[in-house]
Amino acid sequence: MTGRRRLFFVAAVLLAASAAYLISDGGAVADFSEKIPKKIGGWAASGKDRTFNRERLYDYMDGGAEVYLAFDFREVWTRKYAGSDGREMTLDIYDMGSPAEAFGAFSCDRQDPGAGIGQESEYGGGLLRFWQGRYFVAITASTDDPATSGAVLGLGKEAVKTLGPPGAKPDMVAFLPPAALRPERTSYFHSVVNLNNRFFVASENLLRLDRSTDCVIGEYGAGGAEPVILLLIRYPDGDRARSARQSFLASYLPEAGPEGIARTDSRKWVSASVRENYLTVVFEAPSEDAAKKLGTSVKFPAK
Amino acid sequence: MNSPLTRRDFLRGTTVTVLGASLGFSQNKAVQKKSRVVLIRHRDVLDENSKINPDILQGMLDEAVMKLLDESDPVRAFRKLVKPGEMVGIKTNVWSYLPTPPELEAAIKRRVIDAGVAPDRIGLDDHTVRTNPLFVNATSLINVAPLRTHYLAGVCGCIKNYIMFAESQPAYHPDSCADLGSLFKLPQVKGKTRLNVLCVLTPQFHGRGPHNFNRRYVWSYKGMIVGLDPVAVDTIGLRLIMAKRREVLGKAQELPPVPKHIQLADTRHGIGTSDINAIELIKLGWNEDTLV
Repeated sequence: MTGRRRLFFVAAVLLAASAAYLISDGGAVADFSEKIPKKIGGWAASGKDRTFNRERLYDYMDGGAEVYLAFDFREVWTRKYAGSDGREMTLDIYDMGSPAEAFGAFSCDRQDPGAGIGQESEYGGGLLRFWQGRYFVAITASTDDPATSGAVLGLGKEAVKTLGPPGAKPDMVAFLPPAALRPERTSYFHSVVNLNNRFFVASENLLRLDRSTDCVIGEYGAGGAEPVILLLIRYPDGDRARSARQSFLASYLPEAGPEGIARTDSRKWVSASVRENYLTVVFEAPSEDAAKKLGTSVKFPAK
Repeated sequence: MNSPLTRRDFLRGTTVTVLGASLGFSQNKAVQKKSRVVLIRHRDVLDENSKINPDILQGMLDEAVMKLLDESDPVRAFRKLVKPGEMVGIKTNVWSYLPTPPELEAAIKRRVIDAGVAPDRIGLDDHTVRTNPLFVNATSLINVAPLRTHYLAGVCGCIKNYIMFAESQPAYHPDSCADLGSLFKLPQVKGKTRLNVLCVLTPQFHGRGPHNFNRRYVWSYKGMIVGLDPVAVDTIGLRLIMAKRREVLGKAQELPPVPKHIQLADTRHGIGTSDINAIELIKLGWNEDTLV
């Protein structure tokens, strides 16, 4: 192939890949300006629609951008709506790059009942959050009266129509043992910022998390009782997993022996074990046996 | 690495003990003079719709600053802070969901004028303080911010309020915004802060994701925390947030995400004290559900 032909071939492949990415999964975020209604009930779009990419996300949310940048965030499209009495509602649609990452962004701060919008959703206190395909969506209103709730949910139902087909959750979610799992409390993320907001472990990054690590956290037990926590981390290689375990045990569980399990002052058991490039940590288990049983129930993928 | 604060520390004992031991708050620190912090509250400063009564708010500011400086007159108290002929920057916070209330900005500005500073030499700004001539040339700064939780820094108070003085704000974000205290050493800021006012009229004790504001997580505390030491002021603010989280969310969620920058502003950057034993907290006014 000549240099010119090779260049043409590469460009065509890139163009096709881009088109496939945009068309099959909901399109470019800028298209939302045309697709999403500018009026919802008594609310109307106000100001200019804006988009922010990875480099410019700080302009939109100084002090919080890292939370999305820790995922494979691509762009966010945002629009404000004004109500007749000066109330405000903000629609943010985040292109997270893949359905797994969109699920991750949604899953880390889940708290309210589902709203039946998108693949999974929650609504409470004027805040609607959901994910669909590679998009994570948040609609925020400053008030929570019935009229505002209706507008927030109505806007969510309109927005989800533009987001394309559903996508798959991260593979690691399926590794969690299903017995007694509280599925609505499962979270997926990469960084220590998300871990500590979800389940505070330590003020330092003992588990050595970064963008190259994948984490899933599951809660176990009946509702109302203190849950047992299973944290599963996938590192790029086994050395990093073993090093992270060592770091964690040294600072968090120094009394643990080679097996990496010990009872803490709160009379709960904590364990940390490595299998290949996976580190499994169990917190708040009621007994040694329970910690071991949960830790060894992880459904690791076949090689 | 210093001994990290872990989940076990929290489950082991009271938070105050934990903070004292694990965040490095020295019990043996030589305390020459305690850092005075005044918490003032008034039952009627907000009405049932959270509308501020500006006269009551002015009275709260006056009383707090008088107590802080052992003065019996608010203008004399402010004259201890700023002098006629100075250029004064009031660093406010304009976060749309929970800004510094304009009534509080006005109350501070009024007393700065009463102290003899010409109105055209008083700046009031947030995002453009680095280029605003009234801040570039300011000889004194007054730091006023609302108290809320923050996804990265744990809490957003008087220390974090100065991030707009930074050339690169993201440069202060690593490690849970650990080094925000160094903002007070920037040339535009160093040695100029005369007063720190943490607005706790309606603090936000919890958030879900960055930029999150929700009325469920805000309560009418109807207070103001005032001090010369931004670290001491934020230390009291953090205790307030933690107490409210413990009350509403339970002990397991007492701590907002790793508010290490407050302690490090003391132990690493030396701009104030985070040692609760070295803080003289004076409480004035309404004392129902004070929490701290």
